[in-house]
Amino acid sequence: MATALKNRSQPLPAQGLDEFGTLYRDHVDLVYRYAHRLCGETEAAKDLVQETFLNAYRGLKNFRGDARISTWLYTIASRTCMKMRRKRKGEPEHELSLDEFVPTSEGEFRLQIPTEGLSPEEALENKELRRALDQAINKLPKKYRMVLILCDMEEVSAKEVGTIMSLNERAVKSRLHRARLFVRRELSARGILDENDHKSRSLRS
Amino acid sequence: MTKKKTATPHTKQTKPSSRHKAGRGHCLKLLRQLSAYIDGELASDICKEIRSHLGACPNCEVFILSLQQTVILCRHRPVPPLKSADRVALRRAILKKANAK
Ligand SMILES: [Zn+2]
Repeated sequence: MATALKNRSQPLPAQGLDEFGTLYRDHVDLVYRYAHRLCGETEAAKDLVQETFLNAYRGLKNFRGDARISTWLYTIASRTCMKMRRKRKGEPEHELSLDEFVPTSEGEFRLQIPTEGLSPEEALENKELRRALDQAINKLPKKYRMVLILCDMEEVSAKEVGTIMSLNERAVKSRLHRARLFVRRELSARGILDENDHKSRSLRS
Repeated sequence: MTKKKTATPHTKQTKPSSRHKAGRGHCLKLLRQLSAYIDGELASDICKEIRSHLGACPNCEVFILSLQQTVILCRHRPVPPLKSADRVALRRAILKKANAK
């Protein structure tokens, strides 16, 4: 174990350096985009990019090319993110159950900020909607957030997300469904009400 | 084998509110399948069943629309691009750190 680690941290020979240069040049934008979505802000995203490529650099000679490079990098970034950032303040790291997404009042069925008749780009010009969406995604427990980001934002197939997260496809789809329902609820009237409730609770504590 | 015609005519429908209450079980069943439905992963007979529920249950129809809108918003949420100065600085930092250990 100790020797394996030692070997891994040795600098790559010139050829490896070239390989790394190409890997970085071709994929840094993908890793940054994913990192930014996971972290929700620029500085943390840059830290994650750095750690991800550092781990990729060390593992480069073990990469056998039996997976797509993007899958391999998503995997490293996801694991690095899991390890790097301890639970953020207020981030609920619990399981989501379907029961909590059953609407109980009239206002919960529709989105608070209507998007009917608008293209998604037009809808997202609304700053308030963008903020609400980002907040909703950031509030998701990390393992749900990762699945939602990979499936619905990075548009990676459920099968590949399974490879990245060491899950079967069924589990990926189940997490994705809950994550979507969570974000939907946050964007409905219920989400706004909960938000106020949270604030008053944290003021009391 | 004779086919018994038991279908009740549509004129005998109950009021929307009580219909929704009566169909509560259907609503919950639908809630579980919504992602698979909007991702087009369900068999055609199940889709048909869902469509007929949606036609009869305004709440579910609004709900599914809001879930679809949520997914579309996620798909289109842009990320600010990495600045070229950051791209260069990050690369340098990674190689420095990698070779320092
Ligand atoms: Zn219903």
